[in-house]
Amino acid sequence: MPKQGRYWISDTTLFLGPAILLLAVFFVAPIFVNIVVAFTDMSQSVRFEDFPTTRQFNKLGKVNEEALLGFELRGSFYRALALTGTFVFFTLFIFNLSFALILALTTTAVPERMGAIFRAIWLLPRMSPSIVYALLWLWVIDSSERGLFNQVIMAFGMEAMNLRLNHPMAVIVIANGLIGASLGMIIFTSAIRSIPDHLFYAARADGAGSLAIVRHVILPALRWPISYITIYQALALLVSFEYIFLIMGPSRSTMTMAMLSYTKSLAPEIGGGQYAYGAAIALILIVIGIIVALVMWRLANMKALLQQPRIEVR
Amino acid sequence: MATVELKNIRKAWATAMAVDGLDLTISDGEFVAILGPSGCGKSTTLFMLSGVYLPTSGDILFDGSRVNDVEARHRNVGIVFQSYALYPHMSALQNIMFPLRFQKVPDAETRAREMADLVQVGELLDRRPSELSGGQQQRIALARALVKRPNLLLLDEPLSNLDATLRLTMRAEIRRITHELGVTTILVTHDQLEATTMADRVICMNAGRIEQEGSAEDLYLRPRTLFVAGFIGSPPINLIEGKRPELKLSGIPVQSGLEDSVTIGIRPEMLKAADHGLPATVSYVEPMGRETLTTVDTVIGPLRMLEAVAVPRWRRDEQILLNFDAEDSMVFDTSGKRIDGANVRLLEIPGA
Repeated sequence: MPKQGRYWISDTTLFLGPAILLLAVFFVAPIFVNIVVAFTDMSQSVRFEDFPTTRQFNKLGKVNEEALLGFELRGSFYRALALTGTFVFFTLFIFNLSFALILALTTTAVPERMGAIFRAIWLLPRMSPSIVYALLWLWVIDSSERGLFNQVIMAFGMEAMNLRLNHPMAVIVIANGLIGASLGMIIFTSAIRSIPDHLFYAARADGAGSLAIVRHVILPALRWPISYITIYQALALLVSFEYIFLIMGPSRSTMTMAMLSYTKSLAPEIGGGQYAYGAAIALILIVIGIIVALVMWRLANMKALLQQPRIEVR
Repeated sequence: MATVELKNIRKAWATAMAVDGLDLTISDGEFVAILGPSGCGKSTTLFMLSGVYLPTSGDILFDGSRVNDVEARHRNVGIVFQSYALYPHMSALQNIMFPLRFQKVPDAETRAREMADLVQVGELLDRRPSELSGGQQQRIALARALVKRPNLLLLDEPLSNLDATLRLTMRAEIRRITHELGVTTILVTHDQLEATTMADRVICMNAGRIEQEGSAEDLYLRPRTLFVAGFIGSPPINLIEGKRPELKLSGIPVQSGLEDSVTIGIRPEMLKAADHGLPATVSYVEPMGRETLTTVDTVIGPLRMLEAVAVPRWRRDEQILLNFDAEDSMVFDTSGKRIDGANVRLLEIPGA
């Protein structure tokens, strides 16, 4: 509803200018730079001679007339894609959604103070430096008999395990999930708190038990928060590599796309410095992210959440 | 349908006693209103009846059997809330059918539709609550509360969110429906008009206790306490504190020593302009349609006078004389109890 007034352009600039500037500098420009670099041969010397070139993409896949989509992926890249999918799917659904929902439901069902204490505990890892969180995990899963996990299972008569070697994906899914669940927990908790008390009373008087109340009163009220967390966390996990790197290092067993991009470009001591190659991987990640976001946006009908502005700018 | 008994019910919160020793018996099919100001414990009482709150002590009996430990969902009580509390994501029909889902009723939809017809929302059943007006939501909420044929229907300020005209219609509607079904009903309200127009019996509560129970006219004409006299009646009663030389008290026990510290109550409509009486200056005139409310200043303080005239008889600053009949006055002692048989009349003031 733009109104053509004398001040329209100046007011619009005034209101949207800062936000547009921030977006341009910190979001659009890096993507643009990334696209350019992805089509060069930039390496450790930070110079490039060849532009445009698809050399970097050739490292990831090659043209094959007989393949389904006209190209086939190289082994390491295919593996990175599969690991990313596994990592995102399990972390998202087991922890960031299901576990967050369980935390929100249980901490809102107990008396307020106790619930607040439990939620604060779940927030602790988020508040502590990630290096500390990763270090604690390294102690827990230490492959020797001193590792906390091994001490526990040995108390039950089982043999010590080397989790990093034998169950690397489980380690990074759980480590990321336990810290990631707190965001969903907070969002879901506030959504549950905003359901009027009378609705709960009415449901109980209508004969609903606890499970029926969760199903018919709470879950419908969480429809939008769940959609939001799903989209937001899926995108966040897609590019997340911090804890994977801190716990697993540049291990091949957990080399997701984000990790691959990071190790190829920004981890010089372990063979990095291949900036163009890293950028090419990041570019594919951006494209996947955009597709995932658009598809989920559509599926969740997030458009229905958009509202007319409440303050009118002339 | 059930009789309901409350025996010495108390409910204590961390800092306050919400309900303090409530005794109440409601017979089968009766329509009772619990009336009181906010914070008097009436809603707490309702939530204890429904099973949402547990009483701190005392017994709640439905048809003679104790239900204190029976969960809300097994008490078979229907509630209508002030906010309607309809499930926002369900259609009107699904809302009405919701209680039947837990009773495994075979012909749930037929029963829900019958109930919808009874409350006259049969043609709105596909809509969501957000697409319904306040009055329509109210009717859906009523149908949802009644569809499982509850032992007891609880109404928590059901009309407070409706506009004045709709309130008038819904008052009669709720009365008709509950009468038709013969369901025992308890209405909780702070609105005396709602209570007195709908209920067979009104229970007036204050500070967690019952002040007085009885018919609407009992409470209005024969209040037993200062609180009831002050709470019931609109515009409110005139209260004059302490002994005044212009007023002659009678009927007070001789040795009681109450003469100086009583409170005198006179209803606004009992005050009349007269040839002789208390000199008064008109300070404010409020035409209210059928009646006119006039506020006057006198030596015993400001008084409200309600006259059944549409056209105001007095103008601001006009001097008039007021009088009233002794039997229309009430006298309350220091503890707020009415002194039986005591009344007051105006002394003739020489030269007035």
